[in-house]
Amino acid sequence: MNSVIYFRDVSFKYSNSEQFALKDINLNINKGEFVLITGPSGCGKSTLCRIINGLIPHFYGGTLTGEAIVLGYDVSRTPTYVLARYVGMVFQNPENQLFLSSVEKELAFGLENLSIPKPEIEKRVQEVAQLMNIETLLDKAPYELSGGQQQKVAIASVLVMYPKILVLDEPTSNLDPRSAMEIIDLIFRLNKKFGITVIIIEHRLELVLEKTTRLIFINKGRIIYDGDPRKILKKEDIDELEFYLPKSVKLYRDLKRIGIELPDVPLSPSELATVLRGELKRRRLLK
Amino acid sequence: MSTSLLRGFVYKRKSSVLHRLDPRTKAIILISAVALIFTSVKVSFLLLLLFVSMFLAYVGRVLREWLHSLKSVFLFSIFIFVMNYLTVYNDKLLYSLLMALRFILLTSFFSIFFLTTNPDDFAQALLKVGVPYEYTLTFTMAIRFVPTLARDIQLIIDSQRSRGLELEKGNIITKVKNYIPILIPLMILEIRRSIMIAEALEARAFGAVRKRTFYRELHLSRIDIIIMTCTLVTVALILLLKPQWF
Repeated sequence: MNSVIYFRDVSFKYSNSEQFALKDINLNINKGEFVLITGPSGCGKSTLCRIINGLIPHFYGGTLTGEAIVLGYDVSRTPTYVLARYVGMVFQNPENQLFLSSVEKELAFGLENLSIPKPEIEKRVQEVAQLMNIETLLDKAPYELSGGQQQKVAIASVLVMYPKILVLDEPTSNLDPRSAMEIIDLIFRLNKKFGITVIIIEHRLELVLEKTTRLIFINKGRIIYDGDPRKILKKEDIDELEFYLPKSVKLYRDLKRIGIELPDVPLSPSELATVLRGELKRRRLLK
Repeated sequence: MSTSLLRGFVYKRKSSVLHRLDPRTKAIILISAVALIFTSVKVSFLLLLLFVSMFLAYVGRVLREWLHSLKSVFLFSIFIFVMNYLTVYNDKLLYSLLMALRFILLTSFFSIFFLTTNPDDFAQALLKVGVPYEYTLTFTMAIRFVPTLARDIQLIIDSQRSRGLELEKGNIITKVKNYIPILIPLMILEIRRSIMIAEALEARAFGAVRKRTFYRELHLSRIDIIIMTCTLVTVALILLLKPQWF
């Protein structure tokens, strides 16, 4: 079986709330997928991510019903520190994830907690620092770094545990466009190179869409769309997604409305350029 | 004022002999100094200690910060002098001078200790003497989040001011009251931040096993042991023999 995350009829209600944060979620994510989750604020996407590494229901109180299996572990019976080894979680604000006084200590922290022997820690710290291109920052204090560098360190600090799944909850929302792009490229490389399953929450679809193999749109605690982004974005009726669509997708849909149907949904400006060029050639408007 | 006083105590990352010493060695020097400061009854000896501390500050390359900490407690030491002078009957001048000098010396040695000791190393040293990791981590994190906290406070002050809050208005009681609209949002913000930090700790397997690895541990070097021994022997001799000049 290739399935790494399996949810059947999962619902969750926070203990201080009347409403379900998530309702009847059915989900099956396979190894190596690059999953983009989006939806309005408070729709339950962060809740979903926190179930994957067991912060829900162990850290946040509430009632979790249904079956949530991550890498064969039943989440409701597995403590977070066991899941933490396999599920690397990166949060929105890098500053709150870095609490030690040097980058090196930050990278070693997770491994120390797992009681990994020193030589192995040293090996992995070097390896991941190289991979993330932060070797020169090892002696620096995290709060001296830029937001982009901090987020790199935060990702590195979970990568040292060799996670099978990487869950990122709006990792770029505090970053400038350039660092955001860098972080996304990096995550994509990790997905391609090591086959790490990536689950990323992101509002700015244009950053991630091109690389995404699967798009999940959540609203009011329910999954509204789930599937290949190209197929979803081709659909006629996706009003709920209206405000999330990148410009290239909007253009595709506007053209379609006036009778010009491009062969494929362009997920990025460069794809748009390619598709348009092909179409213009086909219509003999361009050599 | 409060932040400027802090400047004389906040760790400065530099490279010096003093920075490289094990925090335990520096703690021994500090404790020895404190013992001497409180037992000596000679102004000349205390002045000698002041020179010693100035020498240490010079060796530790923190002379300027050290001077800053002394300057910021200078007024208070005069106050100590005057208060003692007014309340003591015998040997007024000598006694008051001793008390004021002791205060300056304490500031001086503590300032040098904290200026040259990485809080992390200090936490490691605490760990070595048996303080549980949860507590030393709390200590490290408390220090790590000082700049963040300072920024949060400034942010809240700015936003409350932009809504018309006047902090400097009124007498002492109203001034204190003025700070309520700062403190409440600050508390809420920091509680939320602490929840996020706790989440991140959990996500990095904090508390997974009872015996965690310690990647970087402190080791006493030969120089550390030599300095420690010399300090302890000297101080013990002075305290035992109680020479004339002490």
